[in-house]
Amino acid sequence: MELLERFARGDVEAFETLFRQLHGDVYGWILRIVRDPGIAEDLTVETFWRMYRARARFDPKQSIGAWARRIATNAALDYLRTRRPETELPADLPQAPSPDAALQREMREQIRRAFDRLPTKLRVAAVLALVEERPYEEIADALGTSVGAVKLRVFRAVRRLRKQLDQLGVHP
Amino acid sequence: MIKDDQEQIRSILKKAFPPVDAVPRRDLWLAVLRKLDQRAAATPWYDWAMAALLAGLLVIFPKFIPVLFYHL
Repeated sequence: MELLERFARGDVEAFETLFRQLHGDVYGWILRIVRDPGIAEDLTVETFWRMYRARARFDPKQSIGAWARRIATNAALDYLRTRRPETELPADLPQAPSPDAALQREMREQIRRAFDRLPTKLRVAAVLALVEERPYEEIADALGTSVGAVKLRVFRAVRRLRKQLDQLGVHP
Repeated sequence: MIKDDQEQIRSILKKAFPPVDAVPRRDLWLAVLRKLDQRAAATPWYDWAMAALLAGLLVIFPKFIPVLFYHL
């Protein structure tokens, strides 16, 4: 508790201690949303800067981890809203050694593009719930909404994605 | 039906989005400190407002320019 109170008063040493405790989780959370290590690092820095700026509004009785995650989610959402949809394959996908693998790669590319066209809020809820399989309560807390709203977003994301994949002729 | 559809989309997405390695490649603390310093050094908006007000007054009352220089 004393550490959090010192942080809320603007003590940089307390802030560094908190950074060392939390930055791995914050980075991991952002990376799961944005899927790019470089961007996740920049957004982690942005998150801790926002935390320090908002320290006076932090209530030391609440969970610092949940608060950090919410700020991280907002930073990631801000980034995704301004980013242009991805049009090229990311570097983590392997080269196609055979026609079958090329087909698989093409299908994955189409799925990613269709996913990128979803509204940001639906995309974030879907990636955390379906790909990362995080608990709905945790996602709701990070997004500052209810579990019901997260479930609805995931449902709408699935429905829209299914429709887009059908339009693209992708039938996995 | 809805659950089956969700499961199918989950499986498709998991294939499209490979697992990510959740460890930063560098120490980010120095970058956080740099950002704190940069933002702290930035000129606050009210300083700009004061400068604009002063410039406006000097445009309207140019005879006060020598007075200003005298006091600087």
